[in-house]
Amino acid sequence: MKKIVSLLFLFIIGCSEIQDEMIVNIYSQRHYDVDQLQYDNFEKETGIKVNVLKSNADELLQRMKNEGESSPADLFITVDVGKLWQASDMGLLQKYKDNSLTDGITESLLDKNGYWVPITYRSRIIVYSNERVQENELTTYEGLADSKWKGRILVRSSSNSYNQALLSSLVANLGEEDTQSWTNALVSNFARDPKGNDRDQVKAIAAGQGDIAIVNSYYIGLLLSSENEEEINAGKAISVFFPNQAEGERGSHINVSGIALAKNSPNKSNALKLIKYLTSDDAQKTYVNNTFEYSVKPNIEPNQIVKGWGSFKIDPLDLNMLGQKRKTAVSIFDTAGWK
Amino acid sequence: MSVKSLTLIISVILICPLIYLIYSVFGLNLDNFIYLWNNLLLNYSFNTLYLVILTSIFSLILGVIPAWFISTSDFKAKPLFDIFLFLPLAIPSYIIAFTYSDILSYTGPLQSLIRKSYPSIYPYFNHDYLQIEILSVLMALVLYPYIYTACRISFSLIGSNYIKIARNLGMSQLKTFFKIIIPISRVSIFSGLFLVIMEVLNEYGAVKYFGVNTFTSGIFRSWYSMEDVNTASILAVCLLIIVSFFFILERYSSSRYNYNYKPNDDTSGNYSLSKSSKGLIYFICLIPFLLGFFIPVIYILRNTIDTFASVDLNELSTLSFNSFFLALISSFIILIIAILFQFFKKISKSKTIFFFSEIVSLTYALPGAVIALSLILIISAFSNIFGISIMFGSLTVLVYAYVMRYMAVGISPLKSSFEKHPESFDQTGRNLGMTNYKIFSKIHLPINKTSILIAFILCFVDIIKELPITLILRPFNFDTLAVKTYEYAIEEMIAKSSIYSLVIILFGTVLLIFLRKIINKSINVS
Repeated sequence: MKKIVSLLFLFIIGCSEIQDEMIVNIYSQRHYDVDQLQYDNFEKETGIKVNVLKSNADELLQRMKNEGESSPADLFITVDVGKLWQASDMGLLQKYKDNSLTDGITESLLDKNGYWVPITYRSRIIVYSNERVQENELTTYEGLADSKWKGRILVRSSSNSYNQALLSSLVANLGEEDTQSWTNALVSNFARDPKGNDRDQVKAIAAGQGDIAIVNSYYIGLLLSSENEEEINAGKAISVFFPNQAEGERGSHINVSGIALAKNSPNKSNALKLIKYLTSDDAQKTYVNNTFEYSVKPNIEPNQIVKGWGSFKIDPLDLNMLGQKRKTAVSIFDTAGWK
Repeated sequence: MSVKSLTLIISVILICPLIYLIYSVFGLNLDNFIYLWNNLLLNYSFNTLYLVILTSIFSLILGVIPAWFISTSDFKAKPLFDIFLFLPLAIPSYIIAFTYSDILSYTGPLQSLIRKSYPSIYPYFNHDYLQIEILSVLMALVLYPYIYTACRISFSLIGSNYIKIARNLGMSQLKTFFKIIIPISRVSIFSGLFLVIMEVLNEYGAVKYFGVNTFTSGIFRSWYSMEDVNTASILAVCLLIIVSFFFILERYSSSRYNYNYKPNDDTSGNYSLSKSSKGLIYFICLIPFLLGFFIPVIYILRNTIDTFASVDLNELSTLSFNSFFLALISSFIILIIAILFQFFKKISKSKTIFFFSEIVSLTYALPGAVIALSLILIISAFSNIFGISIMFGSLTVLVYAYVMRYMAVGISPLKSSFEKHPESFDQTGRNLGMTNYKIFSKIHLPINKTSILIAFILCFVDIIKELPITLILRPFNFDTLAVKTYEYAIEEMIAKSSIYSLVIILFGTVLLIFLRKIINKSINVS
């Protein structure tokens, strides 16, 4: 009966209870089990109920844009900093202003414009076959354009936002022209047409369909902690390599999962409390213990599996560039024929 | 209110988001469109065409041939096969795509087993199975039941009378099939095929995973990657125009084949079979079920058992309730509208009503996310004009979107059923002094009862599988089974998503078994 009553409410006003002030509404691209755990913990601690709508970032942006001033969204969470930049560019965000929110967070991960706060980060790394590749053959992302990799590189589609972010970082670091020639060369080195997800690229290395792959660190952790023994074996057939680490190199590309205050946030003070909570040491520990992401606070150590890959130098590029250079990156993909 | 204006109002409510979408593309900047046209669209269109043709061929083979044997031959366990052949419809196409790629992958059970036990033949199995041809087979495996259902009804209604005549004229079974049955059933087969083609056109999740870029990929390329909603709208309108053209062409050509025929009342004319042809029939009828249902469900079941300990049963029951409730209400509304349209079309013979009852089906070709987008656009336009704020995240908006999207699924079975019954029924009714309401309740409702139930169940099964619209238009904290399945699958945790897919499939299966019972009861062939 309770279910039916709450559904009736949903039919009419779109929320399952009468609105009061002890709520915070999130539009989120994140949909991991750990997120719900964080929200539950936050609610226990503060008594503020967290309402979540989880969907694709672009669709959420469109919805927010069209809802305009009447948008119920207080916070916008993504797994790609490019979409946070886009949201600020579309005028959908407001600055958080309170600098104490970012206390203890690694400086280079912060938004210079003050719109979004990072909550975790991941690196887009290279993995290689233990059998067919020596670690010293790998150097940088740029090195993947070398013709010695012809027919050996695996990567997923260019419609994937992690690939778009990586290419945006190259556009920002190397310029459009060099990035275009790099992409052309990389595409000619592909072992097969881009397809599947990140795990599939690793499996394809294990199956011998290619020798190296560009994947997110996060998914390697998932693979290695799988319940399927064969998947763990596939994960063990490869090793992780952080590119661009040598002296004078810029460091590996990372992408941030972040949170931002919506322009028309109706429950602003609750929203700020949640941002504060998600970047607290406790919540950061919860993230790294339940996912394979890195904490934005240098004092919080990553999960054991992730720790085993060692520490690495991060590309210090202004992360907003990952959004700003996105359109150029996509057109480079198309010109190069990266499907 | 006249019949005509009522139809008009409902149609406009249903298609106004689309009209608005079309209106909104005029005067837009075409730069990105031209860019896409020059760089990607030719390739995308070619892939789409190839995928549509392959999937259509496989769906026709898997749907028409078993339907023919089940309808016209006698063999043991036939009723069981008849149930089996419906069941793959319960599996969403993205689930079958993810499930099979998992089964066939390097770490999947097939390759692992061969690698361990038969290493000598392993190289023959070590392939990249994410190919467009395999995708088309997988999609056909879950979409052919649309054709099977349509054929089953049509073949059985035509039934023995025509077959007997053909046999008396000395025609072989094969010749009867191609010369008589197929032409008579053309409209029904096409109505099934039309749904298949539209499903292929709007598919996004599975094609993306397989690395196949279709026209729909182009829509999302502009929206998600180029951050240009306008170009996405232009492409969606193009897709709509293509489907409309195709639709009109079919309507035009099929108007030459408008048959009314006497329903089958006798099953004595069934073909008797030799032992070898019986074996062949078993094989033909078993394959679609085995590949399209049995194997994936066993795999999903195995995953469910493995992950069962970590499942929150309370949450599972809420999700199931949400999915069930939404599908129930939406299917009910769709059916009411679809029945009204078919009935009005029949009694008024108005060209306007005919036109509108056809075009409300077109939304089915659009990807769900585009329907959601057009709805968001029009609701915000309304809010701006009238200065009122309408919440997107209410279930009313969600149900509205479902009704728009799945109108075609409700209309399709009704259309073939309403068209099959002769005009003389209505005329007789009218001569007896019956009002329109009486004609509806005493004639149309009873004789189309079966197809109404079929339409209801097909809508229900489709809506319970729905994903993209639900994702974007649902209220806060509101999940369905399909949403949960997707959230795990997209994070590459197929095993964890299995319990939710299993419940979707379970709902679908129960209803489809029920559906088959209805069909067989009405066509007297069990």
